[in-house]
Amino acid sequence: MTTATKPKAGTKQWWRRTGPPGGDSNALIGQNKATPYLFSLPAIVLVAAFLGFPVLWGVWQSLYRKPSLGAAADWVGLENYRDLFSSDEFWHSLNRTTVFVVGSVVLGTVLGLFFAFALFRIVGRLRFLRAVTVSPYIVSNVAAAVMFRILFNGQFGTVNQILGWFGIDGPSWLADPALAMVVVIFTQVWTDLPLTILLLLGGLMILDKAYLEAALVDGATGWTRSRYVTIPLLAPQLMISTVWLSYSTLTGLGVVLALTGGGPLKSTQTMAMEMYTTAFRNLRFNEALALATFILILNAFLTMGYVLIGRRYEYES
Amino acid sequence: MTHRDPSEDILHESESIAESAQAVAGPPPEPRKLVGSRARRIARNAFIAIPLILLVIWTVLPFLVTLSVSFKHKADVFANPGLIPTSPTLNAYREVLSSESFTTSFVNSVIVGTGTTFLTLLIGVPAAYAFARFRFRGRHLLLLFTLIPRLVPSLGLMIPIYRMAVFAGQLDKRSTLIIVYTAMLLPLAVWLMVGFFQSIPREIEEAATVDGATLWGRLRYIVAPLAAPAMITIGVLAFREAWNEFTLVLVLTNTPGKRTLPFELYQMQGIEGIANFPGEAAFTILTILPFVLLYTRVEKYVVAGVVSGSGK
Repeated sequence: MTTATKPKAGTKQWWRRTGPPGGDSNALIGQNKATPYLFSLPAIVLVAAFLGFPVLWGVWQSLYRKPSLGAAADWVGLENYRDLFSSDEFWHSLNRTTVFVVGSVVLGTVLGLFFAFALFRIVGRLRFLRAVTVSPYIVSNVAAAVMFRILFNGQFGTVNQILGWFGIDGPSWLADPALAMVVVIFTQVWTDLPLTILLLLGGLMILDKAYLEAALVDGATGWTRSRYVTIPLLAPQLMISTVWLSYSTLTGLGVVLALTGGGPLKSTQTMAMEMYTTAFRNLRFNEALALATFILILNAFLTMGYVLIGRRYEYES
Repeated sequence: MTHRDPSEDILHESESIAESAQAVAGPPPEPRKLVGSRARRIARNAFIAIPLILLVIWTVLPFLVTLSVSFKHKADVFANPGLIPTSPTLNAYREVLSSESFTTSFVNSVIVGTGTTFLTLLIGVPAAYAFARFRFRGRHLLLLFTLIPRLVPSLGLMIPIYRMAVFAGQLDKRSTLIIVYTAMLLPLAVWLMVGFFQSIPREIEEAATVDGATLWGRLRYIVAPLAAPAMITIGVLAFREAWNEFTLVLVLTNTPGKRTLPFELYQMQGIEGIANFPGEAAFTILTILPFVLLYTRVEKYVVAGVVSGSGK
């Protein structure tokens, strides 16, 4: 650091500055040049080795296939994908995933909005209720599955008891192919809702109040104001929470596996479950990696879709 | 890019919303009160209270039901399905606490949880400090390389990480779990910590440097104390992830001695032909309880941390 004097603007040697553009306004004096690299290297290496590399390797391996277990893998190009798209299991699991994702996103968004509005009204006692709201966040997927299996039990479950008060004979939820998915969706949403609520609540709190005031002056109250003013203003947060709910259900395996394991009669066999079954029960890893790659790509496209739709509803600022 | 604590913004904004709403609405509430009767006020209170009651029921009912079943005798679960056990018993807890499957997996979870927490802080904090404080060649690109993998769902990692562990002969080891969990948490840790470090005024550190403090002296006596709340947040998030993670431990371990609590609970459901509901419920409660004790002590940091992390 001998060139302490800054090159004057306009001199031809401006590119010879020791630091990057912006000068060293953020640097500390007397720093060893190697220090930042030493500090950041372990993190970069670990992330590259255990997050970056595995995904790329997985995509690469989806282009191979082992003729038999233990044999060397052959290059088959896109054949794993061709077989995937022509298999009935794939289309069945895509169908199940669609129900799962759409159901969870709709239920999660509706409940998230409802509860965020409810929490927004009480500013003073907010802290206590916020803590309660976040509590599902500390429960593992397996524990949530146990809790909801008890809650939705056909014989002694609380849900059926409540239905009984209204004279409805509660079904055995998890044994019924049509109803098992409902329980899975409820469990998944229960575990994902804390973050959704926090996101939407945060959005409500930083709303540009000028719009709300204008609406108030114009006489818009209650539902009208929520529907035409507040919710459109929440578009960015709604978009993020939709991305989050969709991501978490599309790639979520824990809840489904622990609650139903894909059953009954494969009625909750989502793509994530199908991937797991193909890889770890049938030991066809390369074929499963093709499905995993498809899920990752689908997730990326869905995310982009939500962002584009969210942009359209966002107010011009 | 200046960093401000979003929770402060939120507090400030909500106050000013209330103020300006009052300023705009001004006197109107009074005539309303003249028109609005007692019944109307009750209706308005109900309008606020009912959603909150529903929120509490939605969140708490699964816990209550599980807690209730965990205090029942096996036969009572079906015979007396009410929420309050007719003859409460600690049998299920005694049974779970004395079983080797619980104690072993509990110890494993503690080891993996603490290991992940410390490794994440040990690696994540210096990296974040470097990204926040130093100007060095390629720092933007390197930061991006550290953050982007956060978008990868763990589902995409399951098979490759399993194959890597098989290839390296590292299957069924707690150290493998610690390293994999740390890698999964680093992007989030670096992301949150960079923000926190940027919010600490650089002048404090410069003053210390002028007074002759070395880099380590500054880190030890200035940066670490100031960043302590943020580090607690990340520690709790890391511990939670290691404590609750299920799908990776499912494929990375296979002997009972190495499983963590979620895997053991899953196993418990699978093995028992006739479900032992009180046992499962007690196991579930005992899985959640230690974390609740930890979490209630540091909850305020975590909520602020999660909000500030996701809001940007």
